[in-house]
Amino acid sequence: MTPTARRTSLRKTILVLVPAIFAQAAGNVLLSMTMKEIGSSHWLPLMPRAVESSALWFGTALLIVSFVLFASTLSWADLSFVVPAVSAEVVVNVVFANYFLQEVVSLTRWTGVLFISVGVILVLRSEREKARQESEEILRSGSP
Amino acid sequence: MKTSILIAIIVLADAAGDVFLTRGMKQVGEISTLNPRALLTIGGRVISNKSFLSAIFFIAITFFCFLIVLSWADLSLVFPAKSLVYVLSTLGAKFFLKETVSLQRWTGILLVCLGVALTSLS
Repeated sequence: MTPTARRTSLRKTILVLVPAIFAQAAGNVLLSMTMKEIGSSHWLPLMPRAVESSALWFGTALLIVSFVLFASTLSWADLSFVVPAVSAEVVVNVVFANYFLQEVVSLTRWTGVLFISVGVILVLRSEREKARQESEEILRSGSP
Repeated sequence: MKTSILIAIIVLADAAGDVFLTRGMKQVGEISTLNPRALLTIGGRVISNKSFLSAIFFIAITFFCFLIVLSWADLSLVFPAKSLVYVLSTLGAKFFLKETVSLQRWTGILLVCLGVALTSLS
């Protein structure tokens, strides 16, 4: 891949991954909401109720959309870039829970969010670095 | 012991799923169209790709083992252990998919792994 192509593809990857991350976060919230409503004990006889729940179907649909977008980015981007980048979903979940659902988020959890955020920034920077190094190599070898 | 074995299967199957999915998608080729008909053709190529089908097999194993282990083990134990997938998938990317993983990327991945474990602890 040429450096310009890598930079363009980084933009494209982010453009596809951001909706994937939000769809996954929303899908997980909807699914866990439905399953909690139904209750964990004696869940088997209650499955018909779960299947009737529109939140469950919507949540599942969002998770499928998220998977399709995730798989699509893997058709051009590095797995070692996409997998950690998708973990931003956890950050979205915690921030959403705190901001919209007014859930109390523990210090341990905020520390985790901080670690993930720094980690994702480093992974993003490593992808940009890759493009820069490749362009330097091309300049050094003298080819266009 | 039963829990450790299942967690090991989950982590291995999840990482294998990631590696096969990437291989399948790379074999299909870069998706660079939004044309519905073209996307449908690509979709057909994807679901008939052997690596993609293997990925789905491993993803299903991960999913069912995850459900099974959660029927007796605590989520706050299973989830942090599951975050090891980030490291294992990266190793898979490096050795099977021949991706270059820089020190900066490794640091980022380890931080993500630690962060995911921490957020699931409380």
